[in-house]
Amino acid sequence: MRRALLSSLVLGLLGCSAVSKGSALSAVPSREPGMFVSTGGAPAPYVTLGFVQVRGYGVQVAGFADVGHATLDGPIRNALLAEAARMGGNGVIHVEFLDENPSTEIERAQAAANSIQNLASGRGGVEQKDRYVTVTGEVIRFEGAAR
Amino acid sequence: MKRIVTAVLFASAFAGCTMVNSVALPARGTTAEPFVTAGDLAEPHEVIGLVQVTRTGVLLFGNLDVVGTDLEAGFKQALLPAIKEAGGDGAVRVRYQMTQYAPAARVIGAILFFIPLPSSVTITGQVVKLKGAAAAPVQ
Repeated sequence: MRRALLSSLVLGLLGCSAVSKGSALSAVPSREPGMFVSTGGAPAPYVTLGFVQVRGYGVQVAGFADVGHATLDGPIRNALLAEAARMGGNGVIHVEFLDENPSTEIERAQAAANSIQNLASGRGGVEQKDRYVTVTGEVIRFEGAAR
Repeated sequence: MKRIVTAVLFASAFAGCTMVNSVALPARGTTAEPFVTAGDLAEPHEVIGLVQVTRTGVLLFGNLDVVGTDLEAGFKQALLPAIKEAGGDGAVRVRYQMTQYAPAARVIGAILFFIPLPSSVTITGQVVKLKGAAAAPVQ
């Protein structure tokens, strides 16, 4: 009976979902100066300058402390836009992103529990998990100023 | 507590890494090279077919990409020739993915130089041929 309860509890917890969130990209029409960023197309004529792929790497410590650049915002706001600017672009369109190995809440809790257990018993250390986020985009330059 | 702080500091030292790869292509209409876009095409066009190109190789010493498995090689040495070979003017709805190792993995690859790191780039797209006025040749 106890096993059945435990099994159903584990099965239920395995159904947890992992959610990765990022901040808003550019609105259409864009009122912000600077780079236009969108997962869709461009609202005005443009020329394609090239393509970029960015992979942000980070580490999740003990299930909860995330360090590094494995977030959706980090690679998009920093590396992707910096590379687009370096290529002479003023926009990145058709942006695609993938958090390669997000953790569910139960996985985070498990890692935290394991870390505490390891530290309490003096065997093993804090659990760490490599994290990766990949972002790709088409670098463009708008023809004219209107967008 | 000391262990947790050490772990966070250690992770911070190696985790702040972002790998960036890009390829610059000539703007459409400026050369005779096929155009490439991740989006659609407004002009009238004929769909010639689908294309997928893949270049695979290894990174020697964790860094030396002898064969060319990055975006630069994938687009310029594989995709553009494939579009030309198919008789197309360009490719639309292009998607791509290349292997990007974190610096720590590259360092390990350099130390364990006898185990080359596998690397590849894959690009897919739809080859199109322009119709009518849009198909005017570039001078």
